[in-house]
Amino acid sequence: MEDILNKQFDQLQKAIDGIMDLKAKGQSSEEARTSATLMFVALKHANREVKQKIKAGRDKLHLEKNKVDLSRLQLQNLLYEVSHLKKEIIRCQKFKSRDTHLELLSEGDYADRLPNLPAAKEDMSSHKKHLHRLECELRLRKDLDKQYSALLNSKQELLQDNLSQTQRYISFAPALRTLLGATQPLHDALQLSLDVEWKLSAVVKYLPKPLYILFINLQSIQRISDDHTFASEVVGYESEAQMQDLLKEKRSASLQRLKAEDEMDESSKSTLDKALLPHPLHIRITIGAAGSNQLILLIRYFELIKCAAVWAQMNLAGNNGGDTNFVHNILRHLYANDLGNEIPIPGMQYELQNSNISAEECLAHLEAKDFGKPYCWLQGMCSIPTVNSSMVYNHELNLNKNTREIIARISSRWNSWLKLSQQIRGLMYKDVDLYTLKENIYPAGLSCSLVQWTVITLEEFHAQNSDVLKISSDDKGVTYSIYRAVIVRGSAKMECFIRVPSNYPLEIPLWILNVHWNGCHTSQNNSAIKMMEFWTNSLQPTQLEDNERILYAQLFRTIYSFDIFLETEGSIQSTIEYNKEKPYISAFAKRSRARPYKYFKKGSVYAFKQ
Amino acid sequence: MKERDLKRAYNNVLAQAISSSHQYLFAGNLFGDIFVLRLKELDQSSEEPPGKLKLFPQGGHVDINCLAFHGNFLIVGAVGLIYGLLWNEKEETLGPKRSWEIKIPMQVDSVEVPDVNFIWLNHDTNTLFAGCGDGVIYQVSLEDGRIQREYRGHTDYVHSVVGNEAGQIFSGAEDGTVRIWSTTQQEATGLLEPYKNPKLLRPDWGKWIGAVAVNDDWLLCGGGPKASIYHLRSMECSRVFDFPGRVHVCDFVDDCVFIGGEHNHVQSYTLNGTLQANIPVEHTACYSTVWQPAPIKLMSIAGFSNKLHILKDFRFLDSKIELYGNIVGEEDKADAEDEDLNEEHLISQAA
Repeated sequence: MEDILNKQFDQLQKAIDGIMDLKAKGQSSEEARTSATLMFVALKHANREVKQKIKAGRDKLHLEKNKVDLSRLQLQNLLYEVSHLKKEIIRCQKFKSRDTHLELLSEGDYADRLPNLPAAKEDMSSHKKHLHRLECELRLRKDLDKQYSALLNSKQELLQDNLSQTQRYISFAPALRTLLGATQPLHDALQLSLDVEWKLSAVVKYLPKPLYILFINLQSIQRISDDHTFASEVVGYESEAQMQDLLKEKRSASLQRLKAEDEMDESSKSTLDKALLPHPLHIRITIGAAGSNQLILLIRYFELIKCAAVWAQMNLAGNNGGDTNFVHNILRHLYANDLGNEIPIPGMQYELQNSNISAEECLAHLEAKDFGKPYCWLQGMCSIPTVNSSMVYNHELNLNKNTREIIARISSRWNSWLKLSQQIRGLMYKDVDLYTLKENIYPAGLSCSLVQWTVITLEEFHAQNSDVLKISSDDKGVTYSIYRAVIVRGSAKMECFIRVPSNYPLEIPLWILNVHWNGCHTSQNNSAIKMMEFWTNSLQPTQLEDNERILYAQLFRTIYSFDIFLETEGSIQSTIEYNKEKPYISAFAKRSRARPYKYFKKGSVYAFKQ
Repeated sequence: MKERDLKRAYNNVLAQAISSSHQYLFAGNLFGDIFVLRLKELDQSSEEPPGKLKLFPQGGHVDINCLAFHGNFLIVGAVGLIYGLLWNEKEETLGPKRSWEIKIPMQVDSVEVPDVNFIWLNHDTNTLFAGCGDGVIYQVSLEDGRIQREYRGHTDYVHSVVGNEAGQIFSGAEDGTVRIWSTTQQEATGLLEPYKNPKLLRPDWGKWIGAVAVNDDWLLCGGGPKASIYHLRSMECSRVFDFPGRVHVCDFVDDCVFIGGEHNHVQSYTLNGTLQANIPVEHTACYSTVWQPAPIKLMSIAGFSNKLHILKDFRFLDSKIELYGNIVGEEDKADAEDEDLNEEHLISQAA
């Protein structure tokens, strides 16, 4: 451009110079002037072109400038964003989710509890898994919340209902009072003593609720059954109960302080003492008529473990000692799998955990203080819902029938144990008249005699190597007391080991026999002794008549079997010591050479058969 | 004691039999129960325990004194009668009803119904020989159930009866004698009295003969007296075995002599009298052995205990099979009867 301009300037210069020359020469410059003027046109054109180019360049520059500005802005934005993200990262790093405090269940548990939820996939990252678990947890909690609110609602409804019912009852009161007043002369005329009963129950109303239910039930059963098989009464003072109520109020007011104190300056033993204090009122049930042997049940209620415990005592009319352990066995084995070795209240162990007491401690404490054990059947009588060892929930609602059944059961067990212990005492002091026993009607009688009946230890008993002991029914917490009896006839001696189970009469005493005569014969080496043992042990209580006693009947069977064993065995001995005295037809039968132990009675003919 | 435990503690198995198919073992006891064991279970080489037994109760009043198997029938010798039960091999069941029944006639002078103590079957002639509690051996035709003849002579009950192909019958009895009979002659053709032999007599244990066995040349017997073998032609006692207990079972097994009884071992002797195997058993007394060489070689020993003892090579104890407590479907029943057996009685007593 510059070239063009310069060229044109040069040309113009030349043209002007030419004109100057021409002028100077005085020649006509007209022609030169026209051509020079035309050159101005070209110059003007070039000038315009220059101007145009400058404008284009400026425009371009402006465009570029704009671009630069835009990039700069973007850069600034990005920088800002970076700093923002950095901040975010730091915030994320500092972030702590609240769910870290949550105790989560395992994947499987959720799947169990929320079956309709899609199961977590295997290939999920741990985070996703965690999220899944959290989601499950949320659902679970929502469900529980829903349940909670539903329960709350129903509680509210029930409260409302209660309130309205109470109001209705209260509205009856004035009418009833006037009715009572109006019928007073009628009461007097009929000699009804309603007032007296109301007085009786003055102390009753201080009973804790479960015991109250129990007591009222017992009273009603007692009243409708005329025979006085049992009696119940409330033991304790009204004032003490009132006192405890007051104390409780006070304690709840200063609960926090007291707790702290407890932890501070008292040993755990005495807290247990304090915490497991029974209610000052308790119920005493006496089974058996006055004047005879009585079984006394003391039923106490414990606020802490929310259940009742029972302790049994004996009240022997003749004051003749004997084994008193069996009263506890009666209660322990009243129902199968109800040994009273756990607190049967649902959820109680968690509540105890909160106060740092273990269930075992509680039970040991109850035992040590002679408060007895919290059996499930007892809670049933008190209408306390229970959960037994196999986690079966039970809430007895038919209280009247249930209570009556339990009382009948206890008293029947009590009677059979009384009979048994009388028999054992009789055997120990040889105060037995075997000749009055039922099976002993035939004239010959018994030739053997019982010379000894002693208590031995379980170890001595287990020293007896017998197949019978290997056949152990599943252990149901049954314990045994063992006796050893010695029966003698001539030179022969028989040792009997008798195992009396603690759940008698569900199981009956087991006999193991050893004969010492020409060597030692046991059920291990002599089939005749084994048959004899079978014959004794096969006696079932159902075969007995009402006035018969199981131990006597078993002893009697054993003795006559021993007689028969000696007489049959004696018949083949070279020197005959025992002659046949029992009426049997053949001494041996079958390939097993069975002895005639079985007693048969047909009409007036008695005989022993195989 | 509950009935269940009582039966386990005092199970007395007097009889066993093997089915004609050689696949099933039957055992009967004094509680009137027949156990059936599938022999295949024992043949398995695997370690797993054999399957459970089946039980077919005949009623508590039936004493199962002896068992035999003929055709499709399990023959049961009880008290005063012999009856047959149909065995359905496919379904592995015993017929619930008796298919046939033979009554043992009461003797004029007797007061007791006689036990059927031992059955020997002659499969060739389809006849059954039953040694009974009245001391008589009855020969019964299995075709029509008729009693064909009676062998009289023993003065006390018969413990054991066997025969051989020559038509001779041998019987051992409580009276201490072994009598030899012929199916063609009225009176006994021979008489042995082991107790009169001072080498055999064990005075404290009596003179009874608990078991008799024969093979082609020899007669084996024992009981109160020691077990001994006699040569069949000369009738001379040629060997005495020192089995230390009373003898209730003896047999010739594979050229050996097998003896069991009231002792905690059963023993196997060679014919020369050397002790070959001494097998410990849990029975108070053994009352029955059955054995077969094929298709499953085994011997089963039963007695006064709740276990069958199985020997596979007749020399060493192979396994013990529990009877009660090892029965198909027993568990469910046990649970049901567990609860309060005596309770009803109690309550009624109280009321």
